[in-house]
Amino acid sequence: MAIRLTIDGHEVEAQEGQTVLEVAQAAGVWIPALCHHPAVSSYGACRLCLVEVKVRGRTRLVTSCCYPAREGLEVLTDTERVHRARRGVMRLLLARAPESRVLRALATSMGVTEPSLPTVTHGERDCILCGLCVNVCTEVMGAAAISFVNRGVDRVVAAPFLESSEACLGCGACAAVCPMGSVELRWEEAELEVVPFNNRRPAMRCRECGAPISGLPFAQQVQERLGEKLALAVSLCPDCKRKATALAAKKARPASDAWPHLRAGVREQ
Amino acid sequence: METEIARPDYGAVVEAVVERYDRDPDFLISMLQDLQRDLGCVSPEALRAVAEVLHVPLSQCYSVATFYTSFSLVPRGKHLITVCLGTVCYLKGGKEIAERIQRELGVESGGTTEDGLFTYQPVNCLGACALAPVVVVDEKYYEHVKVSQVDDILAPYASAGEGGHNGDH
Amino acid sequence: MTTFWPPMRLPERAATMAITKAIGSAQELEHWRQEIDARASADEITVMVCTGTACNAKGAGAVYGAMKKALEELPEGAAVQLKPTGCHGFCERGPIVVVAPSDICYHNVREEDVGEIVRETLLGGRPVERLLYKDASTGEALRSSSEIEFYNRQTRLVLRHNGSIDPGSIEDYIGVRGYVSLARVLTQMTPEQVIDEVERSGLRGRGGGGFPTGRKWRSCREAEGEPKYVICNGDEGDPGAFMDRSIMEANPQAVIEGMIIGAYAIGAHQGYIYVRNEYPLAVQRLADALEQARDYGLLGENILGSGFSFDIRINRGGGAFVCGESTALMASLEGRPGEPRAKYIHTVEVGLHGKPTNLNNVETWANIPLIVERGGEWFASIGTKGSKGTKVFSLVGKVQNTGLVEVPMGMTLREIVFEIGGGIPGGKEFKAVQTGGPSGGCIPAEFLDTPVDFDQLWEVGSIMGSGGLIVMDEDTCMVNVARYFTEFLKKESCGKCVPCREGLAQMERILARICEGEGQEGDVELLLDLCDVLDDAALCALGSTASNPVRSTIKHFRGEYDEHIRDRHCPAHDCRGLFRYEIAAETCTGCGACRPACPEDAISGERRKPHVIDQAKCIQCGACFEVCRFDSVAKV
Repeated sequence: MAIRLTIDGHEVEAQEGQTVLEVAQAAGVWIPALCHHPAVSSYGACRLCLVEVKVRGRTRLVTSCCYPAREGLEVLTDTERVHRARRGVMRLLLARAPESRVLRALATSMGVTEPSLPTVTHGERDCILCGLCVNVCTEVMGAAAISFVNRGVDRVVAAPFLESSEACLGCGACAAVCPMGSVELRWEEAELEVVPFNNRRPAMRCRECGAPISGLPFAQQVQERLGEKLALAVSLCPDCKRKATALAAKKARPASDAWPHLRAGVREQ
Repeated sequence: METEIARPDYGAVVEAVVERYDRDPDFLISMLQDLQRDLGCVSPEALRAVAEVLHVPLSQCYSVATFYTSFSLVPRGKHLITVCLGTVCYLKGGKEIAERIQRELGVESGGTTEDGLFTYQPVNCLGACALAPVVVVDEKYYEHVKVSQVDDILAPYASAGEGGHNGDH
Repeated sequence: MTTFWPPMRLPERAATMAITKAIGSAQELEHWRQEIDARASADEITVMVCTGTACNAKGAGAVYGAMKKALEELPEGAAVQLKPTGCHGFCERGPIVVVAPSDICYHNVREEDVGEIVRETLLGGRPVERLLYKDASTGEALRSSSEIEFYNRQTRLVLRHNGSIDPGSIEDYIGVRGYVSLARVLTQMTPEQVIDEVERSGLRGRGGGGFPTGRKWRSCREAEGEPKYVICNGDEGDPGAFMDRSIMEANPQAVIEGMIIGAYAIGAHQGYIYVRNEYPLAVQRLADALEQARDYGLLGENILGSGFSFDIRINRGGGAFVCGESTALMASLEGRPGEPRAKYIHTVEVGLHGKPTNLNNVETWANIPLIVERGGEWFASIGTKGSKGTKVFSLVGKVQNTGLVEVPMGMTLREIVFEIGGGIPGGKEFKAVQTGGPSGGCIPAEFLDTPVDFDQLWEVGSIMGSGGLIVMDEDTCMVNVARYFTEFLKKESCGKCVPCREGLAQMERILARICEGEGQEGDVELLLDLCDVLDDAALCALGSTASNPVRSTIKHFRGEYDEHIRDRHCPAHDCRGLFRYEIAAETCTGCGACRPACPEDAISGERRKPHVIDQAKCIQCGACFEVCRFDSVAKV
């Protein structure tokens, strides 16, 4: 069902169930957000996506990633209060990970000019505890290999007992969604390591050219779910897969009269 | 003085605890409370057993065990010393008492002495504010404690056998 | 009808009383109440021994045991009943023993006093003077609680049965008209009528939020989704607050009755009581009370034959202050870490397991049977325009009479602290009263005439909170108070959101530096900036109210901050290293008591000659100050 609301005075249309952030992004309005990813449910941890909303005459700051779009809602993304609050949050993030290029670039676009605060907390490889890796692993991949451990300033993302997790699929989703580049897949001969979680899983490499594809448990899971037909597809890297698909298509195609001028120049493989 | 930890049959202990709560994973925290009490700690083996029996991801169990301060993943000392650091106890000298205990035992918050005799754990308000400052050793409450009394409170536990105190000052 | 929810048994619960009857209707309940009434004799002497947590800590168990033995040895025909009761709230004077019907109230009773009480009072009808409460100013011995200002200035409604009923006996509760309200609700009122009554009362949440209870119930009732839940928040995490502990220990049935009524009004059939793990006695008493309520047909299927079914389970916390926040509590109830979530969609619509959930505080639930019995209008006639009824406060800290105080909303702080509380002991000056726990501010002397009222406390920079009233005197360093609360919140922060996790760490570091003599110009301004970020951007109330202690102390006690930063001196002589201990040569008798007390061997002196503290060795632990009987050790 379509609903109408305003963003910075402009009327926009939205769907029931959308968040203000989604509506704003669709309308081309830029709102900074680090802990948000379209594939993962909203968590509301980074607090950068703050906007003001006006409901029944009262204005308040809310995180747009979690706030439901409602009929008649007035959203303000460009007020002094919004910018001051967002900059305050960014200052705290910069104190935690001052060397991060991602943060510095974001801070520049947000216009953060206030002096830096001392570093009082530390995140492994600039981790800001946004929760995307944890949530994608549990919600989307269904593996739940990592989770938040401890609380407060001692909070970290880790596998149980800080040891390599048997539940880790080696799928790399955590690395893919991490906004800070803290999570990385490191490939060794027969194993891959998910840094910094200490998860080590048997690696699956392309059976044609040997390029890294994914963790073996993930590949096996995909095979189980999609069946034998796609087993081949999973064991080839994108390049080799493309070649194999092209070859197979060529062989399967019956001889045809189409494009004679092109076929004239084609050499038989 | 060595702390003896018997090797329990984790499987059986965990089964019993899980059964007590109708195997409902909602009661994970209550289950871990019981395990903490029965086993002295929520050990990795116990946690793995719980995860398996309840069909709850191990990562969630570990998350819960490390989030809440009730739980210890390593065995605690023979005697648990709890110092209340609620506002009133703190303002009436609780901080000095806590510091004194830490100095005397050479431990940090949550730590256990090398001889395995004492674990020191500060707590946020026991609701006995009228008795501030409060120190609890193994469920025995000491009230209106003074810094100068810390040694006297600890001494009976440090020597062989149970403390001989009746809590009077 | 939903499939019925089996109750769950806790392992450590005491043995159940033998089931004598399951009450099948309101009339049966009334018959039984009359039976209980008839059995009670006006002449029978009852000895009531408080066995609350604090009294237990002071040896009430031994007193009870000795009394029991002594009564067993009494001659035949001596009609004396012994009853263990719950928390009176005057814990500092415990163990407390009350003898009815003469209404003699004994304080600080020890095991060895029991014999005398039996001989003199029970058999001889005479009070034991030395065990009576002594008025602080006149020294007069006062016999009954009605004479003691601490009690007689209170309006004990929620606490009215604390100390006179046995919390382990449902019969006692029924004997004082317990479950009469439930019977009326189930047989004569519709759910909407119940909600109307609660709305009429103007009851606002007693846990700190102050949200209108009737409105909350209505929203939950109207929300879509099944099953619905009711929850009792017994996580009482505010340090210095023990009102809920007292209610749960002394009168658990009142909470249960309130919850059943609420569940009926909302349309819920499953309830939880979430109790913090640090309250083992409360958990025990509630578990026993639930078991009895079930045995007597007041909980479970087809309550009082009305067709309404409802049951309650107890869940324990794991030691996390943040679990007092409703969404964190619900996460905890689902077996997960206590992480709050955004409340843009309220928990009355999407709560526990994503279903409509009504969460209320212990004291809020305990008010419900009373409101149903006497009417919402009656309740609304007590208190102020915006805050109805009474509130239980825990008056603690630097105050003569420490304990639980129940007063009508609108009584002034001055009256509570000085008349009921008896003022500041030791001849010290009042400095501030801190209300609302770590979410509240410090209120200085100039605002002592502020009435306790949700909105008016807000106006002076604090909040009602759950009811903690911590009195501070001239020896309290207000910068240290701000540091204490900030450190507390930093340790309790769940760590999910950036402003709270990072912001509190930054603030704690600054306050620590100031208290250690390393404050810098600009620190106060920076603290206020960080307060702004938390106010605007924190996810939950833990973070968004964390600025209150800091802001209010900066506002009212700026001079202390400045002295710490500019002079590296603590005017209250509290912050270690920012003041000195010195022995006054004029008054020191040279008794030498301080020398062995010093852990650093910093004191030297010959017998009968004034002693001296070596400032280079002194670690300011305060042991010499504590031990000196001549007040010769001064803080400078």
